[in-house]
Amino acid sequence: MTRENFLSDLKRALGGMTDQERRDVMYDYEEHFRMGAAEGKSEEEIARSLGNPRMLGKSYAIDVLLEEPKGGGGVTATSVLRALFASISLTFFNVIFVLGPFLGLVGGMIGLWAAAASLPLAGLGVLLSPVAAAIVPQYFSLAGMNPAVLFFAGAGVTGLGVLAVLGMWKLSQLFVKMTAAYVRFNARIVTRRK
Amino acid sequence: MNIQFKKGVLELCVLVVLCRKDFYGYELVQTISRNIDIAEGTVYPLLRRLMKEGYFTTYIQESAEGPARKYYQITEKGKEYQKVLLDEWRRFVSGVNTLIGKEAAA
Repeated sequence: MTRENFLSDLKRALGGMTDQERRDVMYDYEEHFRMGAAEGKSEEEIARSLGNPRMLGKSYAIDVLLEEPKGGGGVTATSVLRALFASISLTFFNVIFVLGPFLGLVGGMIGLWAAAASLPLAGLGVLLSPVAAAIVPQYFSLAGMNPAVLFFAGAGVTGLGVLAVLGMWKLSQLFVKMTAAYVRFNARIVTRRK
Repeated sequence: MNIQFKKGVLELCVLVVLCRKDFYGYELVQTISRNIDIAEGTVYPLLRRLMKEGYFTTYIQESAEGPARKYYQITEKGKEYQKVLLDEWRRFVSGVNTLIGKEAAA
């Protein structure tokens, strides 16, 4: 990440601050880059050792929300309301960009599971239909179809269904692993990225 | 090490270091990160928060090499808070060491 990218990401993440405060914060990081460069470090190197600019911005935003308003007037109804709206908008961002896609993916997984699970069930039904017709002919008719054809078609669909379920099992494991990796990525706030 | 734990200890480290002398931001961050493995950027939000709480003040001073630097200076309130934190830390460490000692002896 270049100096330019780092600073612009940070600036964007510094919500809820006055312009003056934002300038102060930006100054600290600009100075950090300047002094790092004077020591002969590359922009990439400095940005990496600083950490994730979005996470840094978030920690400022949280601090701002928890501070009492200026002027020593204590916490007023307006400031509480404003903090509430700000935190809702932060939450809203998470809901739209994190929870939304996540729920979509979970829905997709459930749909795929239903489709995969229905295949072996349908296969078994077809496979057992000649048997059912033999035992209870008054309830079940093959409508003139060849029992052998039904048996092999049923066996084929069942096999396909078992493969589909195994595939879904693997896909679910991958899904869980990737979700865990994403959560871990989000949690890496203080530890240095190596 | 646990992230929250590191964050708490970081506050103590910043105050202890600033009790010795005034530092400018970059120098302070380098001093901390030479000894503790953290993302260097996380020191700045901490500095801002501690300053808002009145534990130290800042002043700008011209430097011989390059532009002016922002220095951090500890206040009386900061010194007192540092004492409290240091005391808590020592009690915590001695407690942990006692437990570890018992564990090793058992």
